[in-house]
Amino acid sequence: MLLISSRRLLELDENEAYEYVKAALNKELIAPYRSHELECINSVESCINCGLCINHCPVVAAVGLDRFSGPRSIAVELSRSPPEFWSAADIVYLCTGCGTCREVCPKNVDIPEVVNLIRARIFEYRPDLVPKGLFMVRELLIEYSLAFEPWEDKEEKIESRNMRLERLALPLVQDKVLDKAEVLFYPGCQAEERAQEVREAAKVILDFFDVDYTLLEEMSCCGLPARLIGDEETAVSLADKLKKKVKSLGVKSVITTCAGCTGNLSYLSHHFDWGVPTVHILEYIVEEIGLELLRTVVKKPSNLSDVHVTVHDPCHLIKHTSRQVMEHALNILRELPGVRVSESEAYDSCCGGGGLVSYHSKEIANAVVEENLEAITKTGAERLVTPCPLCTAQIESNLFKSGSSVEVDDLTVFIAQRLPKKE
Amino acid sequence: MDLECDLLVIGGGMAGFVAGTIASNAGISTVVLRKGQSATAYSSGAIDMIGYLPEVSEPFSSPEEGLTTIAGLYPLHPYSIVGYSEDVEPSRVVAEIVERARGTIAWLKKYLKDTAASLIGSFDYNVHPITVLGTTKPTCLVQETMFSDSLQQNEDNVLLFVGLSGYPDFNPSAASKTYLEDRISVGEPPRKVGRCVLEIKPFGKSFNLSSIEIARHFDHEESIDDFAAQLKIQVEQLGASHVALPPVLGLRNALMNKKKLEEILGVQVFELLGFPPSIPGLRLQTSLENIFKREGGKLLVGHEAVGYNRMEDKVTSVTVKAPRRKIQINAKAFILASGKYIGGGLHGDENGIRETIFDLMTVTRAYHSASGILPSRYTNRLSISPMGQPVYSCGLTVDPKFRPVQEDGMEWASNLFAAGSILTGYDYMSEKSGLGVAATSGYSAAKSAINFIKEVA
Repeated sequence: MLLISSRRLLELDENEAYEYVKAALNKELIAPYRSHELECINSVESCINCGLCINHCPVVAAVGLDRFSGPRSIAVELSRSPPEFWSAADIVYLCTGCGTCREVCPKNVDIPEVVNLIRARIFEYRPDLVPKGLFMVRELLIEYSLAFEPWEDKEEKIESRNMRLERLALPLVQDKVLDKAEVLFYPGCQAEERAQEVREAAKVILDFFDVDYTLLEEMSCCGLPARLIGDEETAVSLADKLKKKVKSLGVKSVITTCAGCTGNLSYLSHHFDWGVPTVHILEYIVEEIGLELLRTVVKKPSNLSDVHVTVHDPCHLIKHTSRQVMEHALNILRELPGVRVSESEAYDSCCGGGGLVSYHSKEIANAVVEENLEAITKTGAERLVTPCPLCTAQIESNLFKSGSSVEVDDLTVFIAQRLPKKE
Repeated sequence: MDLECDLLVIGGGMAGFVAGTIASNAGISTVVLRKGQSATAYSSGAIDMIGYLPEVSEPFSSPEEGLTTIAGLYPLHPYSIVGYSEDVEPSRVVAEIVERARGTIAWLKKYLKDTAASLIGSFDYNVHPITVLGTTKPTCLVQETMFSDSLQQNEDNVLLFVGLSGYPDFNPSAASKTYLEDRISVGEPPRKVGRCVLEIKPFGKSFNLSSIEIARHFDHEESIDDFAAQLKIQVEQLGASHVALPPVLGLRNALMNKKKLEEILGVQVFELLGFPPSIPGLRLQTSLENIFKREGGKLLVGHEAVGYNRMEDKVTSVTVKAPRRKIQINAKAFILASGKYIGGGLHGDENGIRETIFDLMTVTRAYHSASGILPSRYTNRLSISPMGQPVYSCGLTVDPKFRPVQEDGMEWASNLFAAGSILTGYDYMSEKSGLGVAATSGYSAAKSAINFIKEVA
């Protein structure tokens, strides 16, 4: 039904016409693409429908094509008319967002972003199809601006932190919030509320090398979980909130210890003109502190024996940021005395922890990590290190459940443990 | 942050990895850059050298025969270039061309030995493996899993085509009919073929199966035993002497599985050549990566070349982009093995056909400029024809050292070499020469680049 006459339609200016058409389409449950989505939409145009991505998808490998129809089927969803997106709801939430498909695609079709885009449409028009588990995360995000429920008792949080520090033999570096620091250390939700040792370890490293850093006065999420839920509104508001904080601090760059935050903050910086780059602490160590300096200071602590490790590459670093970041990780490990590294056959295979899959389909997430567990065991290493608290938690809990004796450390912690006490 | 190396190879397909592996082996610090999987990963996993002369329907009996013919008829064919170098005597032209190709084949067989894509075959004759359609094609090397030395030898041979229930990429009924018709028309054995469909359940279901799931399923020990037990009944019923399977015998353990089946069944078992992207193609791609890394090369995945710096007659660096980072790679020499339209080395649209990184001169098979060619107008109506598709013959023209040349015939840069399907002068689809040209030109470009680097140093 036309709301206005066709004559009136001709008289509309461009903006009015856009709003008019948008309102009409909205009735049909069709939303126009947003400008930052166009890059992804355009990439789908070059999909040649070959299905090569299926051969490499870790979810397909773990559960089969019948359970998860694979990246190609997701890419071709965009050739359907928009209201039909929700027919993809049974598969689009099973994608762990690892980015393998985009990386192996000869045309680099941005399938992981298509997943987010479809999830956003489903969230907007058919929230009844969104897995219930995701709404729990959303409530936390909205209530606390964090992806994990904050500690009720601050004393208990401190106690937990101290226990972790003691177990890992890490010194306590006091939190600091400065006005005019050069860089912001942004630990991310998981290191803030759960894996506190990662946050502490990063401070140990930054403090040791006299980096002029500050923490946020009040930590808030970068918005990645909201984006993965499809809740564009919450994602944008969290990102804006953080952008304001970063901008008002006037820092030159953001350092984080979380692979997801590195990828997402770099994405935000690219699409929404932050003007402040985000780097993972591994990049900061190699590019700003320098391996030469690291080499001269690291020593084998007397309380640690020689260790044989294997490394897991987090998808958000290698496939969403750059593979070079993990090259840095290996270069850093080479400088650490008493550390022997063996490569796992599945070093760059998704741990299953991404895409919020484990919040509603834990069996899928845990099927994906199987390949990693086997390969890790095969290396004979006694310890796995990885620069991401999410991968750490996912692999650690599954190794434990499988009865493995292999221990898991966040790489930031592993490095901090090998720095001498600061004079 | 910059990366330093002696040689940067742009492209991680057959040409790029052969070049990279040879350079690494020669002690050159080499980086292979790959933005996505290559056309090599799409291939059937067999290495074609030269199957046909364009427009001729009778295949060559051997790569040697084919190369000799090509050398005489097409002096600008990528195979022929090495023969027309200044330092080759006129009497040695054909010999040089044939020897380079023969050397490449020997090299491939040697380096891929004991990988998941170990090769079998000879430069002295073409083999004619069967495809999943039941047709045959001339090729030089096949993966050991695809090989049968006795299928066409004995009058009494009986071939059983085995399909898998719920696996749509292979129809044993159609394939066996096509193959039998072909055999009858040439009057050669086997004269009897059969077909059957067996059931496997990689995830507890025997429907909606893809090649990769089946291959991974067979990689698990014991899964082949169950399959063998089912197959044994069919083999005995038909009295089969040979068994043809779709190319899904495993990613890692395919050869072991073939041998195990042969042992249990007492027949010869082989994989057919499959559709892209095939499992043997994936095995070949992975194995090429592995031999490159084994020789000490550095593979940089997920980075795309987006720009370059040039000083005087040399390229000094290439800028590469990952999803969220950009770095500069400085090198003494560069090999462009970025492929054609699939790999992204060439791009064709309404503005013509252009080379995507350096904007090098592109030409047609007739060596006219391709910069104004409309790809859609440069095709034949019949998609698969002995005439080939002209748009697939467009590409770069190079000097005898494999350096791309510009309009005046001089090299565009003294340290930029090109190899693989980005070259002009051939049509891999009608010639059946794709991976052969890629490997041979990769081999030659690497030799030139190594010489250049050593001379400069």
